[in-house]
Amino acid sequence: MRKLISTIVMFMFALIMIYPFLWMISTSFKQPFEVFQSPFQWISDQPTLKYHENVWTGTASFITYYWNSLKISIISTIGAVFFAAVAAYGFSRIEFKGRDTLFLIYLVAMMIPNQIIFIPKFIMFNALGLYNTHWALILPGLFTVLGVFMLRQFFIAVPKDISESAMLDGAGHFSIFLRIMLPMAKPSLATLAIIDFSWHWNDFENALIFLLDEKLYTVSLGLQSFVLENSVDYNGMMAAATAGMVPMIIVFLIGQKFIVEGLASSAVKG
Amino acid sequence: MKLNWMRRQQLVGYMFIAPNMIGVTAFIILPALFSIFLAFTNWEFPQLSADFVGMSNFSRLVQDEVFYNSLKNTLIFLGSVPISVGLGFLAALVLNKSVYFKKVLRTMFFLPYITTGVAIAFVWMLIFQPVNGPVNTLLMNLGISNPPGWLSSTSSAIFVFDIIWIWFLLGYNIIIYLAALQEISSEQLEASKIDGARLFHTVRYVIWPLVSPTTLFLLMTGFIVSIKQMGIFQAVTNGGPGDSTTVLSLYIYKTAFRYYDMGYASAISVALLVIIILITAIQWIAQKKWVHYS
Amino acid sequence: MKKKSVGFVVILMIVAALSACSSNNNNSQGTSGQAGSSNGSSDKVVNLTFWGGVPAEAGPQEIVDTWNKQNPNIQVTYVRYVNDDSGNLKLDTALVSGQNVDIFANYTKPLLSKRVSSGAALDLSPFSEYNIDDKMGAGAKEWLVDDKYYALPTKRNMHFVWLNKDALDEAGLPVPTDWTLADVEKYAKALQTDTRWGYASFPFWRDVVSFDGSLAVQGSVKEDGTSNFDAPIVGEALQQQYDMMHTSKVSPPISLIETTKMNLIAEFLGNKVAMLNAGEWVFRDANNLTDYPRDFTAAFAPLPRMTEGQDDFRYLGGLGDAIAINAKSEHTKEAWEFLKWYADGGMLPQAAGGRIPASKDADQAKAIELLLGDLKDKYDLESLERVLSNELPTFQVSLPQEVLDIRTEEFDKYYIKAQSLEEAIQNVVKRHNEFLKRN
Repeated sequence: MRKLISTIVMFMFALIMIYPFLWMISTSFKQPFEVFQSPFQWISDQPTLKYHENVWTGTASFITYYWNSLKISIISTIGAVFFAAVAAYGFSRIEFKGRDTLFLIYLVAMMIPNQIIFIPKFIMFNALGLYNTHWALILPGLFTVLGVFMLRQFFIAVPKDISESAMLDGAGHFSIFLRIMLPMAKPSLATLAIIDFSWHWNDFENALIFLLDEKLYTVSLGLQSFVLENSVDYNGMMAAATAGMVPMIIVFLIGQKFIVEGLASSAVKG
Repeated sequence: MKLNWMRRQQLVGYMFIAPNMIGVTAFIILPALFSIFLAFTNWEFPQLSADFVGMSNFSRLVQDEVFYNSLKNTLIFLGSVPISVGLGFLAALVLNKSVYFKKVLRTMFFLPYITTGVAIAFVWMLIFQPVNGPVNTLLMNLGISNPPGWLSSTSSAIFVFDIIWIWFLLGYNIIIYLAALQEISSEQLEASKIDGARLFHTVRYVIWPLVSPTTLFLLMTGFIVSIKQMGIFQAVTNGGPGDSTTVLSLYIYKTAFRYYDMGYASAISVALLVIIILITAIQWIAQKKWVHYS
Repeated sequence: MKKKSVGFVVILMIVAALSACSSNNNNSQGTSGQAGSSNGSSDKVVNLTFWGGVPAEAGPQEIVDTWNKQNPNIQVTYVRYVNDDSGNLKLDTALVSGQNVDIFANYTKPLLSKRVSSGAALDLSPFSEYNIDDKMGAGAKEWLVDDKYYALPTKRNMHFVWLNKDALDEAGLPVPTDWTLADVEKYAKALQTDTRWGYASFPFWRDVVSFDGSLAVQGSVKEDGTSNFDAPIVGEALQQQYDMMHTSKVSPPISLIETTKMNLIAEFLGNKVAMLNAGEWVFRDANNLTDYPRDFTAAFAPLPRMTEGQDDFRYLGGLGDAIAINAKSEHTKEAWEFLKWYADGGMLPQAAGGRIPASKDADQAKAIELLLGDLKDKYDLESLERVLSNELPTFQVSLPQEVLDIRTEEFDKYYIKAQSLEEAIQNVVKRHNEFLKRN
């Protein structure tokens, strides 16, 4: 009974959480003059598929944008999770001189405002010939400080005797990392992957500055094409944004499976 | 033999962190050092030359009222982080065991975290519309005859961002807490089913301390991510009305890319960096009082 | 505080950046069409990239398509950048990189000046066969940077008040030919209904039209180098705008416009605003009866002066869309060819969106025809003719962005009742003076 009540209460809160999305989806099926109509109507009087069709067949080629976003986000996420896991292991399971100082530098690096490193990054990529290529997004995307922090918290919590007994059996750090820690860390890795993927998928600023050719554009950059000279094509933008959410939801559902599967053995702890 | 092992250990340690360290150095630390250097110049992007101006950017900063105002707005905005972490903890507790349709609910709560900014920012704007907006319509129906002007008023606009941000971060906090809650043995959680008084007691004195390292992690990363957030401010109000929602990160962005004053923007960034480090250091020191490592 | 030049450091970095990317540059453009190069240079296809803020489908695509058909050897690609902070940043980084920009449109003088001083814009004076002053008229002068043309202003800026003529007729009011803000308020009161505002203006343009128009002759800076925003006329104009929002309530208050991102064009065309202080850019939507069904005739009036007897008032106008050639482009000659053609009539397909060519050699009658489309009966042609051909003295936006922002921030706080009129002016003056001291 109690479970039923809490389910109902949670659903009510969940509805508040998704209210803006419902609004967004609703608007994507509306006519322009209905966007601002009050009182708000969930279902348009003259519903139209025009804007959703336009996302895929219009002048802005969202199919290309989609493909670019997928490419960048998938490569970056896989790389970022891997490099973060390796570094997190180093920071948590191996004792060596200067480790904690280095970690402190990491924490500070995490705090640097993005806006201020755009121009230096631009100068660097330009010098390397990476400006106006997807590498300008993928390369920095392979390294996440927050991910290292997150996984470190997890690795620290794994009892020492697990790796110590493996070491007595002659296993080195690399095999402990690959065969014991990574499998145990699945839920944390999945969590990081979901979060990291969403950063790459939604990244607008880097894409804006580092990509020039329209055929290299990403979905979040493509949304700009709905900003007209003196107004915004809200219906078109909402339709594109709705379509843009689909991959994220799929990633979350896949990731959540791993989280649930590995739940019994894991946690994020300090 | 012993020494050799130590050396080996040292080497292996470096090998593990090296790949990430190189990337972070190249793409974050070096660019940041370059911009700290710029803080002592009057460089205007995209000009070809600049002069050293010593501390003058910083002496301008300490007298800059816009800077202090942005700092105040940033701090108010940061208030959303502990609230969202607290709500995330409560929601995770419930979502962990005592609901049906766990997966559906989790997905719904996580949805905000994965959204693209501009489109959803516009929706928020309409939701908080002072006339006819759903929030104020609801408040009027509840008998509040003079609801706040939300984004149209200098005194309430920044709080709308707090609400948006609580909403945005909640899903992230919940899934991290959910992962942490798995560590706690099920008897401890089962106990919470017995009666109201016990339930509060279990949560407050058993579960809360057990997840405190996670809480620390969420607070620290939450503050850092929030302090750097610029996009929603730019999309929803661009700092207005007046300067009531200009936060430091937006002020930096405008100074750098609207007024092309890279030198001064770098100086504000250095100040922001110092503030973030201070906030983090305080949390790191204060953790001894309340964070329990098992 | 001793100043040392660190110019060389920045220059070094940028030079390094440029030399490294020039190899890229070559293969990304210019070489793609060398199919028949054995026949000599005449067969070489030059590829140019043209950056502008107008959405491609609103004219630019048609323009480059026409050009490309007529000039198989010079192929132009149009790239649209959004004319906001981030879009301009994108253009500026692209210019620094030397990649993919040959021709670019500038929409404000301060931005053009920045680009000139960073060496991104080509000095057009060597192309002496085309006399810019002669072609474009006196307004071109406002685009001079250090007494030289680095960009070709191509479009006539036209600001005026759009009127709902049917509503005016109903109220028995004539189309005004010369009026003040007080007259506007009188009209607005008569036109206001339960479902319709009397008068509205775009927040940004409202301030430019009223304050910069009033100070155009005096200047926004006094002789002693301090801010002139405390001139009495500024306070009067401010008070009057405020009264229209809050006392007579004939104008939608700024808070409403901002928080709902109110689309004033749609409001005007939908008969929810009777008079709209705007400009030529409204035509694109006004001609689009599918998305903006409209059953009334639109008439036009000049911008209102702030007070009766204000003889130094200047009318927002002049020339716009100043198009420059990237100094680093490898094909500046071909770019210039395109630019001349564009200015002298190539740009006509954009006329439907309100962009009337400034060049005297462009077909003005054709431009007006395109502007009105097949909707001549939906416009009051007599008053349109009047606002298009009047000889009122004009000015153009020239304040630095930072000053414009300071003014908006402080005045907005007055408009939304967060500070008094005196405070607003005091604060603007104070912050403007600080700005002046720094620069």
